[in-house]
Amino acid sequence: MRGNEGHMLELKGIWKNYNPGSVNELCLFRDFGLTVQDGEFVAVVGSNGSGKTSMLNIICGSIEVDRGQILVGGTDIVRQKDFLRQRRIGRVYQDPSRGTCPGMTILENMSIADNKGKPYNLGRGVNKAKAEHYRELLRPLNLNLEEKMDFKVGSLSGGQRQALALLMATMTPIDFLILDEHTAALDPKTAETIMELTDRVVREKKVTTIMVTHNLRHAVEYGNRLVMMHEGKVILDKAGEEKARLKTEEIMGIFNRISVECGN
Amino acid sequence: MKKKSLAAIMAMVLCTAILAGCGDGGKDGITVGISQFAVHGSLDNCREGFLAGLAEEGFVEGENLTVEYVNAQADTGTSAMTADNFVSKKVDMICAIATPTAMTAYNSTMNTEIPVIYTAVSDPVEAGLANADGTPVGNITGTSDALAVEAQLQMIREILPDAKKIGIIYTTSEANSISTVASYEEASPKYGFEIVTTGVTAMSEVPLAAADMATKVDCITNLTDNTVVSALQSVLEEANKANIPVFGSEVEQVRAGCVASMGLEYYELGRQTGKMAAMVLRGDAKASEMKFEVISEPSLYVNYAAAEKIGLELPAHYAEDAYQSFDEILVH
Amino acid sequence: MALLLSVLEQGMIYGILALGVYITYKILDFPDLTVDGSFPFGAALTVRLITMGMPPIVTLPAAFLGGALVGVCTGVIHVKMKVRDLLSGIIMMTGLYTVNLWVAGTGYVAIFNRETIFDNDAVNAFFPGAAGRLKTAVIILLITLGVKYLLDWYMGTKSGFLLRAVGDNDTIVTSLGVDKGLVKIVGLSIANGLVSLSGCIYAQQQRSFEISIGTGAVVIGLASVIMGTSLFKRVTLLRVTSSVVLGSVLYKGCVALAMFAGIDANAIKLITSVLFLVILVVSMDRRKGSLSQRRQHIT
Repeated sequence: MRGNEGHMLELKGIWKNYNPGSVNELCLFRDFGLTVQDGEFVAVVGSNGSGKTSMLNIICGSIEVDRGQILVGGTDIVRQKDFLRQRRIGRVYQDPSRGTCPGMTILENMSIADNKGKPYNLGRGVNKAKAEHYRELLRPLNLNLEEKMDFKVGSLSGGQRQALALLMATMTPIDFLILDEHTAALDPKTAETIMELTDRVVREKKVTTIMVTHNLRHAVEYGNRLVMMHEGKVILDKAGEEKARLKTEEIMGIFNRISVECGN
Repeated sequence: MKKKSLAAIMAMVLCTAILAGCGDGGKDGITVGISQFAVHGSLDNCREGFLAGLAEEGFVEGENLTVEYVNAQADTGTSAMTADNFVSKKVDMICAIATPTAMTAYNSTMNTEIPVIYTAVSDPVEAGLANADGTPVGNITGTSDALAVEAQLQMIREILPDAKKIGIIYTTSEANSISTVASYEEASPKYGFEIVTTGVTAMSEVPLAAADMATKVDCITNLTDNTVVSALQSVLEEANKANIPVFGSEVEQVRAGCVASMGLEYYELGRQTGKMAAMVLRGDAKASEMKFEVISEPSLYVNYAAAEKIGLELPAHYAEDAYQSFDEILVH
Repeated sequence: MALLLSVLEQGMIYGILALGVYITYKILDFPDLTVDGSFPFGAALTVRLITMGMPPIVTLPAAFLGGALVGVCTGVIHVKMKVRDLLSGIIMMTGLYTVNLWVAGTGYVAIFNRETIFDNDAVNAFFPGAAGRLKTAVIILLITLGVKYLLDWYMGTKSGFLLRAVGDNDTIVTSLGVDKGLVKIVGLSIANGLVSLSGCIYAQQQRSFEISIGTGAVVIGLASVIMGTSLFKRVTLLRVTSSVVLGSVLYKGCVALAMFAGIDANAIKLITSVLFLVILVVSMDRRKGSLSQRRQHIT
């Protein structure tokens, strides 16, 4: 599974300054680097302000870097526009309303997501023939969404929306799945359901995944690599066997130590 | 819930207001609908003159004549609807004051028998209401308030024997103004003048234009330009600073501080229109067969207070020749 | 009768404008003031083409395309030059004033004796005699319905879905690998195309062009959209587009009612604004309800 071909992601020498030249100047990344191998499922943890979400935004192109390279399979995409990069990226956000269109129905949402990568032309938006296929995709969620195809997504609960968002993000072939604390806004039970669903999708699609989470247990239980970030640096990076031997308590210990140093 | 009941109460108040206004006047006699484009001193004078002209011919408001008056507040949508409303009420005649209302009234009455009499339309030919020879294009006629350009130039030459440049500020969107500026430019060489013009698009631009103009010319003359007339006080202020006179185009402007004018008396224009209307109402003539009319003799108006302010001496015989003279400046 | 026809005619003409305002205000969430300029732009273009002797039917697509171009300009100013939405509209509205004067020639142009889409040999032959009174209303109805169905159709296409998505949640448009700025430009161009088309029909119904006809057009459009979408919200049989057109007819009806009842025209603007406020307050109540519902779902 490891190798240099395919869609290996490399962040090299990333510099990012917020509000340069003002009193609020904040240097987040100084020569930051991270390599994610093809097919890896990386869980990223870290305290607030450690740069986890900023790193995802940099990968997706939502924020620009001051310096550095983002290599995908060896090609630098640092100057590529966000929407062009996201053609090969699926992303699920913390806020369930960002991954779906609340004013459109489930069927319409799935149709629009299914068309990703193809032209959005004057063809019919909803492909009736595919409705059954979409129902099949929804059925394993056990959320009864397959019976609500014509419901506006805005009327669904947060968990239902997040499940749908995850499904929509992975409907088309993608190189990376980016999960940005996607269970943080949900109640514990729904969060577990969404995590299990995430794990299943990642295994089925074998897609390279980077998941930022606040839940240390999720970080330990899921994925095959764990990265801990602090003040814009990777301070812990365990993969494979090492990662498998990790215990939640251990991580908790390290995490608490850095938090105390920070004073929070 | 509170908000909803509040809204309901407001809606009820509104309905009551509408119903309260429902009482219609007597249906006997003759009904004339007056559609005036905007609230404007000279247009108001026009309307009063129109009613006076009708009264002189035996159509007296409140006795044998019902008058419905709507002011469109310078909104063409309202003016179109006003005309349709008059048509729907089957009035005996529509009197349209100013060009836009004349155009909408003509449009609304096109397939009806209702005649339209207009007034204060500077160029009925340009507005598509009359043919080049002055005959109407339909069941519509009236009076034009085209300015007496030559008489005005003659008067300015008399008051200012050495003047060379006359400034005119006008609104680029008012067709009236554009055609009058052209007349001025055509007639000015005969009296030894050069015309300097500045176009504006809004009232807010007038003070700057006036300040710039005042440094370049020997005097300023006004048109009946709605935008510039509305900002007359700022024109006067800049001219006074530069100590140059401003000439008006009708009595209201002279009253408000212009030195003199060889201009229209809108009340008279209205009266003349009223008499034309009476002929049509009596059945003596058809609107579709009457040429539009203009005021034949312009009248002289002078304001001595305004002349004194800039130390200008007016010819002695003006005291007698003036149709009306003012000894103070009246600012509304 | 004439007044009723007038209300229907004007209501439906402004209904097309309201559909344009609906796209920007409700779908794109973009308060587009360009409308005050693109409405007279369509009218100016129309009287120009007609005085040049073009067949009247040509004015309809020409006005739509002209307006669409205007919308693209607003979009480019907003998206590419990163000027705030309100300001982009103001810049375009101001600039269009001069453009409209250029296009039309002067501040007002009459086309009384010219052929229009309502008054030409073909139409007159089709509506002989007394039916002639209805021809304007019938033609406007046909055009408005045509525009409505076309818009309904477009909203159901993939491109239309993107337009709906960009106003709903523009993050997802980026996630779908599409430039959301481009989608906004497309939306603005369709909206202003419709507004300009409305101005084109208005000029032919009034047989004249006047430079100030655009003043307050955006307010009429907004009032119609808000009246239509909030009053007919419960009527599930109606599509939103129909509600918007009905809202516009209703708006013109209120103005006419006030006028017919003999209310001073000077008071009409105040009455309109009170009516507007009442409807806003009522519809706001509902929106608040749905907001709290949403919150319940999240927690």
